Amino acid sequence: MKARTRTNAAAGMLLAPFFVLFTLVMVVPIGYAVWLSLFTEKQSGLGFGGSETVFSGLGNYAAALGDPAFREGFAVLLGYCVFYIPLMIGGALALALLLDSTLARARRFFQLALFLPHAVPGIIAALIWVYLYTPRLSPVVDAMEAGGIGFDFFAPEGALPSVINIALWEWLGYNMVIFYAALQAVDRSVLEAATVDGAGSWRIAFSVKVPLIRASVVMVALFTVIGSLQLFTEPLIIDKGTGSSVTSTWTPNMYAYTAAFDRGDYGLAAAASVLLALTAALLSFAVTRFTGRKGKKA
Amino acid sequence: MSRSWNRTTHVIVGAATALAVLTACGGSGEDKEAAAPGSDGKPVSITFWGWAKGSKEVVDAFNASHEDIRVKYEEIPSGNAGGYAKISNAVKAGNAPDLVSIEYPMLPEFVSHGSVQDISGHLSDDVKKKFLPQAVELTTLGGKNWAVPFDASPQAFYYRKDLFEKYGVEVPRTWEEFREAAEKVRKADKKARIGTFFPDDPTTFQAMAWQAGAQWFKAEGDTWKVDTTDAATKKVSAYWQGLLDDDLVRNNASFSPEWTNSLKSGSTIGYLGASWGAGVLTGTLPEQSGKWAVAPMPSWDGKPASGMLGGSTFAVTKGSGKTEAAVEFAQWMTTTEDGIEARIASGTSSAFPAAAGLRPAARAAFDAKFYGGQDIYQVFEEAGASISPDWAWGPSTGTTNTVIKDGFGKVAGGGATIADAVEAGHDATVSELKKRGLKVEG
Repeated sequence: MKARTRTNAAAGMLLAPFFVLFTLVMVVPIGYAVWLSLFTEKQSGLGFGGSETVFSGLGNYAAALGDPAFREGFAVLLGYCVFYIPLMIGGALALALLLDSTLARARRFFQLALFLPHAVPGIIAALIWVYLYTPRLSPVVDAMEAGGIGFDFFAPEGALPSVINIALWEWLGYNMVIFYAALQAVDRSVLEAATVDGAGSWRIAFSVKVPLIRASVVMVALFTVIGSLQLFTEPLIIDKGTGSSVTSTWTPNMYAYTAAFDRGDYGLAAAASVLLALTAALLSFAVTRFTGRKGKKA
Repeated sequence: MSRSWNRTTHVIVGAATALAVLTACGGSGEDKEAAAPGSDGKPVSITFWGWAKGSKEVVDAFNASHEDIRVKYEEIPSGNAGGYAKISNAVKAGNAPDLVSIEYPMLPEFVSHGSVQDISGHLSDDVKKKFLPQAVELTTLGGKNWAVPFDASPQAFYYRKDLFEKYGVEVPRTWEEFREAAEKVRKADKKARIGTFFPDDPTTFQAMAWQAGAQWFKAEGDTWKVDTTDAATKKVSAYWQGLLDDDLVRNNASFSPEWTNSLKSGSTIGYLGASWGAGVLTGTLPEQSGKWAVAPMPSWDGKPASGMLGGSTFAVTKGSGKTEAAVEFAQWMTTTEDGIEARIASGTSSAFPAAAGLRPAARAAFDAKFYGGQDIYQVFEEAGASISPDWAWGPSTGTTNTVIKDGFGKVAGGGATIADAVEAGHDATVSELKKRGLKVEG
C-alpha cells in the first residue's frame, strides 16, 4: 500500500512538468481561442467611436461557414490532399524500397541527398521556389519556354501543382528516411525465407516489406494528413510575393490569418481556427480508426 | 505506450496545432505611465514605428536637437507587407509603441477598431492650416483629428526619357495617348512595355479611380453609402482590362524582383506611381541615373487630375500615455524645415510634404541627378493641387483591399476580370460593415 502511494507520488512528480507545460501552451491558448470565437466587435454611427465587444454566441461560426472564401479553402485543401498524400506516401515508399533493395549503390549519399531539402526551413524553401516559378527571372521557366512548354505556375490551374511540388520537395526525403529506417529493422530472415520460397524482388517488396512496415506508413499518413490541413507557409509566401491566383484565403489557415491580421476580426479568426482544429481532430480520429481496424482484421 | 493513448495524443496534437495561429493574439491591456514632457526634468522617451524612407535620419536629427523628448525608432515592414498586422497585434496585446505610421487608406480602419487616439486637443487650428486641406480632411473622421498628415503623395508618371526618345514616343497627356504610347513602345521593341498593372496593390488602382472622379465611400448622416462600381470606376476597370487583354502592360507584383528586374533590363520603361516613388526608383536603379524623367499622370480629359496613392500619417496608439510628446515629435517631422530636410537628405526619400510651406525646403534638399536635374517637385506641386477632394476611405479598408487584391491575382490567368475583383470588393465591404453593426447602403 505504502509502496503504491510512493509510486503514484513519483509518477505525479515526473508527469507534472509535462502537464504544466501542456496546460500553459496548449489548453490555455485553445480555451482562449474558443472564448475569443464567441465574441464580436460592434460599432455605431459611422464606426469612428471605437468598438465594443459583444457576445455573439455561434455568430462567428455561422459567418465563417457562410463565407464562400472559407469553404473554398477546404475545397483547395481537399484537392491538395487528393494529389499530395498519394504522391508523398507512394514516392517516399518507392524511394525507401529502392534504397533498401539489393540493387542500391551509394546508399548513404542518396539518403543524405534526399533528406537535405528538409533541412531548409519552409519559408526559405517557398522563397526559393517562388523565384524558380517566376517568369523572366527563373532559369527553369525560361528553359521551359525555350523548349516550347509554357506553364504559368501562378495561374489558377497552376497554383495547386506549384504548392504540391514545394511540399513534396520539402517532405519526401524526410518521410523516406522514416520508411527506410523501418525497412532496415525488418528481420532479414523473413526476407531470406521469402527468397527461398521463390519470391522475386517485386513480390518481396510489396507482399513482405510493405506489410511489415505498415505501422510506419500509418504514422506518416497521419502526420501528412494533419500537415496538409495546416497548409500555410508556402501559399502565404506565394500570395505575398506575387500577384498570383493564390488568394489570401486560399487555405483555411490563411483565412484565419487574414481575418485576424488584415481585417482585424479576431473573433472570426478564432472561429475559423476552431473549425479547422475540429476537422483535424475528426480526420486524425478517422485515419487511426480506419487503419487500426484494418490491421486487426488482417 | 498503448495504442489508445497514442491515438488520443494524435487527436489532441492535431487539434492543438491547428490553433497555433491564434496563440499570437493573446495579451492584456497594460496602462502606460502617464507623463508630460519634461515635467520631472527627465526627458520623455517615446517609441516610434515606421517604414518610410529616411525615418531613421529624421529621428536622429530630432534627438540631436531636442532635450526634453527622446525618440526610439524601430523600423517595421511596410503596412501591407505585415506592418499593419504588427501594429494592430501590438495594440491588442497592450505593448504598442507610442507613435505609428499609418497610410491614409488604413487610418479609418485603425480608428474604427479603437486602436489610435483622438488627438484633436493636441492639434491647433494654426497647425492644421499648414497642411493641404485634402490631407487634413482624410485624417479627420467623425469630426475628430486622428493623425498628423505627413505627405500628400499625388500621382506621377515616371518614364525612361532616353528610351522614349529612341522609340519616338511622346509623353502621353491623356489615357488615350497612353494607350497609343503603349502600342508604340511594344512596336519599337516587342519585349518592352510602357508600364505595369500591380495585382498585389489595390491602392494604385484606387488612385486611378479617384483620379477619374470615383467616390467609393460617402458618409451621409450615420449611414455609409458604398459604391465601388460607379461609372468612373467602371471606366478605369475597362481601360486597364483592355491594356492587359492586349498585352500592352505587364502584370507584376509591385516592387517584386520580377518588376525590378524588368526595369533593370529596360523591358519596362515606365512606372505609374506617386511622389514617393521618385526616391524608390533612385534607390532601386542607381545605374540608370540621369535616364529617367517625371511627367504628370495622364488624365481622362487632358487637364491635370490626380488621386492620392498611399501617403503617410502619424497616429498615437491607444494606451500611450505620452500623447503630448508623440504629437510634438509628429509635428516636428511634418511641419518643420529641419524635419523635412533630414528626411530628404537621406537620399532615399522624395516625400512631397502635405505642409505647403515645407516644399521649397524639400525641393532644395532633393538631389534630382537621377532625373537629369529635372524640377520634379514642380510636377508634384501641380499634381498635388489637382487632387480631387471628394474621395473618402471607409472604415474597412483591410477587408475591401484584401478581397480586391485576391481578385486581381486571378486576372493574369484569365479566370476573372478587374471589374469582377472590384465588384467582389464591394460585396465584401458591405457585408463587413453590416457585420460590425453599421448602417450601410450599396
